[in-house]
Amino acid sequence: MVNSNIDALGIIFPNSYDNRVPELVSERLMASIPFASRYRMIDFLLSSMVNCGIDNISVIVRKNYRSLMRHLGSGRTWDLTRKNGGLNIVPPYAEKTVKVYSGRVEALASILEFLKAQKEKYVIIADTNIAANFDFNAMFKSHIESGADVTIAYKKEEIPYGFMNLQATTTSELYYTLNLEEGRVKEIQINPKEYGPQNFSMNIYLISRELLIEKIADAYVRGYAYFERDILAPQLDTLKVYGYEFTGYSARISDIKNYFDENMKLLDDENLDALFGPSPVYTKVRDDNPTRYIGAAKVKNAMVADGCVIEGEVENSILFRGVKVGQGAKVKNCILMQDTVIEGNAEVEYMITDKEVTITSGKSLKGSDSFPVFVAPYRTV
Amino acid sequence: MAKEMIAMILAGGQGSRLYALTQKLAKPAVPFGGKYRIIDFPLSNCVNSGIDTVGILTQYQPLVLNEYIGNGQPWDLDRLHGGVHVLPPYQQASGSDWYKGTANAIYQNLSFIERYDPQYVIILSGDQICKQDYNDFLKFHKEKGAEFSVAVMEVPWEEASRFGLMVADSDSRITEFQEKPKNPKSNLASMGIYIFNTDVLKKYLIEDEADPDSENDFGNNIIPNLLKDGRKMYAYRFNGYWKDVGTISSLWEANMEVMDPEHSGIDLFDKNWKIYSRNSGKTGHKVGADAMVENSMITDGCRIDGTVKHSILFAGVKVEKGAHVEDAVVMGNTTIKAGATVTHCIVAENAIIGQNAVVGAMPTDDEKGVATVGPGVYIGDNAKVGPNAMVNNNVKDGEEQW
Repeated sequence: MVNSNIDALGIIFPNSYDNRVPELVSERLMASIPFASRYRMIDFLLSSMVNCGIDNISVIVRKNYRSLMRHLGSGRTWDLTRKNGGLNIVPPYAEKTVKVYSGRVEALASILEFLKAQKEKYVIIADTNIAANFDFNAMFKSHIESGADVTIAYKKEEIPYGFMNLQATTTSELYYTLNLEEGRVKEIQINPKEYGPQNFSMNIYLISRELLIEKIADAYVRGYAYFERDILAPQLDTLKVYGYEFTGYSARISDIKNYFDENMKLLDDENLDALFGPSPVYTKVRDDNPTRYIGAAKVKNAMVADGCVIEGEVENSILFRGVKVGQGAKVKNCILMQDTVIEGNAEVEYMITDKEVTITSGKSLKGSDSFPVFVAPYRTV
Repeated sequence: MAKEMIAMILAGGQGSRLYALTQKLAKPAVPFGGKYRIIDFPLSNCVNSGIDTVGILTQYQPLVLNEYIGNGQPWDLDRLHGGVHVLPPYQQASGSDWYKGTANAIYQNLSFIERYDPQYVIILSGDQICKQDYNDFLKFHKEKGAEFSVAVMEVPWEEASRFGLMVADSDSRITEFQEKPKNPKSNLASMGIYIFNTDVLKKYLIEDEADPDSENDFGNNIIPNLLKDGRKMYAYRFNGYWKDVGTISSLWEANMEVMDPEHSGIDLFDKNWKIYSRNSGKTGHKVGADAMVENSMITDGCRIDGTVKHSILFAGVKVEKGAHVEDAVVMGNTTIKAGATVTHCIVAENAIIGQNAVVGAMPTDDEKGVATVGPGVYIGDNAKVGPNAMVNNNVKDGEEQW
């Protein structure tokens, strides 16, 4: 393994795109959104980094990060409890900045001294709204071969509906597409409204640590906020910025509907294998029991994590850890997050229940294919 | 800093009657209950009882067990002072010795015990399925002012002669010990779980070691010696679930009982007494569109497209379309191919059951055997494994093994 280790440190922005899924982040942030029956979004990125030998990882949190802190703990799950490097959670300084950072530049500027003190030659910057088994080694190889200053990972895919409808004026979140010429980025488009597959940036950047420090220090004094818009886009002539195409499986969360769809896609074995096959994805261990099927339980086409007790019917659904489905209950086309209880004879369809929701017995709740109903955490219906 | 009580787990058992399952691992490492190994039970009991220092005495095929225990983190036993330690026999200036008996195993590790200077030592067996609060046991030991206590179970009188029996007075003080007697005077069977005052333990182990005629065994030597000297010995009655899963059929039975916590007395689903284990790290299990799952326990990473009834599937088991699994214990990462029938049996880890193969049979009046397929074994397409077979080698396509 030693030879495959990348000499890079990781910087993760766990709050990016929070406001695309306001329902899911009422008590958490993008990085800790539950996904795929037992994971949180950040698990995919952290595991990918660790699997590629990146073991110095900073998570720059902005707000609502309590659930993330609980999830990450000391980082042991990802083997990130280290003397050198390991997991480094960076909370905002309340007294230093009047408001918490809004763009990457401010956030990176706040850890400039930390960056200067590190030993790694490169830095990888990434968001957590994409679940993918990402091979950073391949990206690194491409970075070296092209002789790039900055490499941006992108995927050829359509701009999701949720993004196309986004008003740039009502949100600070931006998305980017790349115009490429023989791999080199000629233009970075911001919030383009174009149909069909685009070179859609995954917001994963590889850059040398020295260059990053230089660019951030410079941008910060000029009051720039955005790394992409204010640093990369205007300097494409002088900076060698290259694209790296990611061709693996990825699930990008852009709104609640697409969160629902991306979960459901994993009911297809092919997709599940594509996401989890390349290398292991680690998550916090809960020590649940194996799932129990009791009596008249009937389950078809479902993904079910450990710790569930199923006595009713479940179809086309994703059940997270510790979900209970009572006798005579019917669950169809649902995502039931951890410790949801569907009591006896309740019927739910096209629902997303957040953690520890209880649907009391006999209730019938239905959303629709185009509009899954969401129940906030800890609620009893 | 001294500990009040530390635990020593005897985990050297070969489990020879589990033959096919214990070729390459010690009995305490045998998988159990969907995601556990037998040793998870004493380890979790220790942690749940507040014991944070545990020595595990290994001897037979320790590799799997060593790796499984690792630094003890899954049981929260990676501690600065104490924690879990695997203690194999080692070389000393006076020469090296395998553990000659249970008492000798502890004797050879007296220096480990001395490091923590505990008042009490609890000696546990690494191959029993049992949920027990050792605090209650210790409380009893202290209340009685005992020097030695043994946990006992009431067994039916007609079976009593199969066990080591403690004859006790109305105050639970032990007056006599009978090892598998023809005429039992008591039905209190020793569970092989002891609490010693450390000074008493040391004295008797040292004396026992000096006796060339001793078998260095707790049951045969130490307990009789304690009795002879009139030591304060008490029997602590335990009335929970306890099973020594020494045979294939008892192992199978105990697994089946896990699925019926309401009646069997073994409740692994109790949130107040969790059994911890090293996690597989796999995704949630998948139940396909044509699958059928009834009264079963399924673990992370399974893919089920066939029929599973009243069975326990460990992590990562695949059941292909048209396969039928019933009354079976199927251990981790085993694949059951299309059309295969796997019933009333134990299939160990990483095995492959070929297409349309038949393993085991539902019990009849005169045939109740539990078929066993060892780890990594390949059962060929259309092959047949009879209800009494214990298969440890590959069975070729179409062949039969009885």
